[in-house]
Amino acid sequence: MFNNKQVNIFLIIVGIIIFIFLPRFLSGYWVRVITTIFMYAVISQGMNLMSGYMGYLPFGNAMFFGVGAYVTAIGMSKGLSFLAVLPLAALTAILVSILFGLPVLRLRGHYFAIATIGMSGALLSVVQNATEITGGAMGTTLPIIDKSPEVTYNYFYLAMLALMVITSLTVYLVIKSKLGFGIRSIKANEEAANSMGINTTYHKVIAWAISALFTSIAGALYAYWMSFIGPDEVFDIMIAVNTIVIMLIGGAGSALGPIIGAFVISLLSEVVWSTFLEYHLAVLGITIIIIVFFVPKGITGTITDFVKKRELRLRKKVSV
Amino acid sequence: MGENNIILKIETLSKHFGALKAVDEVSFEVKKGEIVGLIGPNGAGKTTLTNLATGALPKTAGKVIFKDLDISNLKPYQIARYGLTRTFQVVKPLIGMTVEENVLVGSLYGRDKRSTDMKNASKRAREIIKLVGLESKKDSSVSDITLPDLKKMEFARVLAMEPEVLFLDEVMAGLNPTEVEEASILVKKVRQEKDLTIVYIEHIMRAVMGISDRIVVLHHGRKIVDGTPQEVVNNSAVIEAYLGKRYAKEGNNEG
Repeated sequence: MFNNKQVNIFLIIVGIIIFIFLPRFLSGYWVRVITTIFMYAVISQGMNLMSGYMGYLPFGNAMFFGVGAYVTAIGMSKGLSFLAVLPLAALTAILVSILFGLPVLRLRGHYFAIATIGMSGALLSVVQNATEITGGAMGTTLPIIDKSPEVTYNYFYLAMLALMVITSLTVYLVIKSKLGFGIRSIKANEEAANSMGINTTYHKVIAWAISALFTSIAGALYAYWMSFIGPDEVFDIMIAVNTIVIMLIGGAGSALGPIIGAFVISLLSEVVWSTFLEYHLAVLGITIIIIVFFVPKGITGTITDFVKKRELRLRKKVSV
Repeated sequence: MGENNIILKIETLSKHFGALKAVDEVSFEVKKGEIVGLIGPNGAGKTTLTNLATGALPKTAGKVIFKDLDISNLKPYQIARYGLTRTFQVVKPLIGMTVEENVLVGSLYGRDKRSTDMKNASKRAREIIKLVGLESKKDSSVSDITLPDLKKMEFARVLAMEPEVLFLDEVMAGLNPTEVEEASILVKKVRQEKDLTIVYIEHIMRAVMGISDRIVVLHHGRKIVDGTPQEVVNNSAVIEAYLGKRYAKEGNNEG
């Protein structure tokens, strides 16, 4: 028979195949909505690695989204192709994460979160004021793909889906590896981790670099997809807030959490938005409060607990 | 290796917190394979000394020579990788992980120059869990087990790091007499099997006497005695530190 792991792999592959063919049955509007969901899942996964697994909440993580988007826009305006500029965008974000991370990852808890907001704000200012390179506060345009909108949207849907799968798989594999045990130990007890021979600074910097890498690629794809970006939009603190909510609701410290959270929150906000046009933010806020109150471990955490409890009960029955 | 098999040398080590001299020019040596008891009343500076030796606190002055290298300026993780590690007086389990995962982290990291790939590390972790007798609890979350089991887990975790010198900081604290007895047997057994050198910190005299080859007594941050358990129990300075001057005099008259 199949074991649990094989069943899971099978389900994930079926899920991916369904998503690949889904756009054929959906309107252009829903294809774009789901592309955004994939994008939020990616950014939330970066949040998850840092916060869900390592216990460091990078509130300003949207800066890597902005860096990815702007490096792509600037590179493409200089005539580079998207695929040529993508590694540049990722590399820039990784460099920024290491440069900022070395001093700031010494801070713990709220101080780290606040410091990252400061950095994000600083980068936003630079982009707004370096008008000659970035186009300033007015934003900047990217070349438009010379295909029908429908084909273009399908491209970005598939690219974002691929990015989400790769990101989640990477986070999963990192967490299962030696590096992942080091990362989880930092959340559990940083002092104990250090005394066990774990170079905590190195682990924190590596985790943030991975987080920056995927967040920046999401930003690069977003910029090319929108073909116009403004600094307030791609460095928006609300991107981080949304992805934190997504992570909490999906389940922090679970590789599937951000994906489930992104779908729940985005679909919820679609429904709320279409029924309560004027009050949709208030209704959404209240819904989130209710979920956090009653499902504090997130959806994946609650399901895992439920399954564990049932197994424990079954085992007890057998032993009696 | 230095002369006489000396593996660890504390040299005029001091730690001052403002005017308080928590550790004041303490010197002693530990030979390879020894169990050295480090005792003293509460506040004598035992844990501070451990923190200095393992890099958790910066020293004020002095040296800690481990295998001919002064480690007193290294970081805790570097010292752990070099082969010196410790348990904590207040247990520090990795919350959110199982017992086996906790021990696995020790096995994956810990001392350098040994195989720490996932397969070997898991195998080693399982063996050590068996050795300390936690096999039935290995899949339990560390938040669900009792204090004696947590102490065993922490002991297993440092063993999985395969250190050469191990500081055990009050591993017996909070255990009842039967559990103390069990733990002592375990420490002796493991020391032989793993070829360990142990610095054993304790303020319960009874627990230390049966286990140590040699005992160092601290009082107000200073070393007052260094000798065999027999020498230490008969020493008037020790009795004075623990019980007060009156008892020390009486003890001397009788002895």
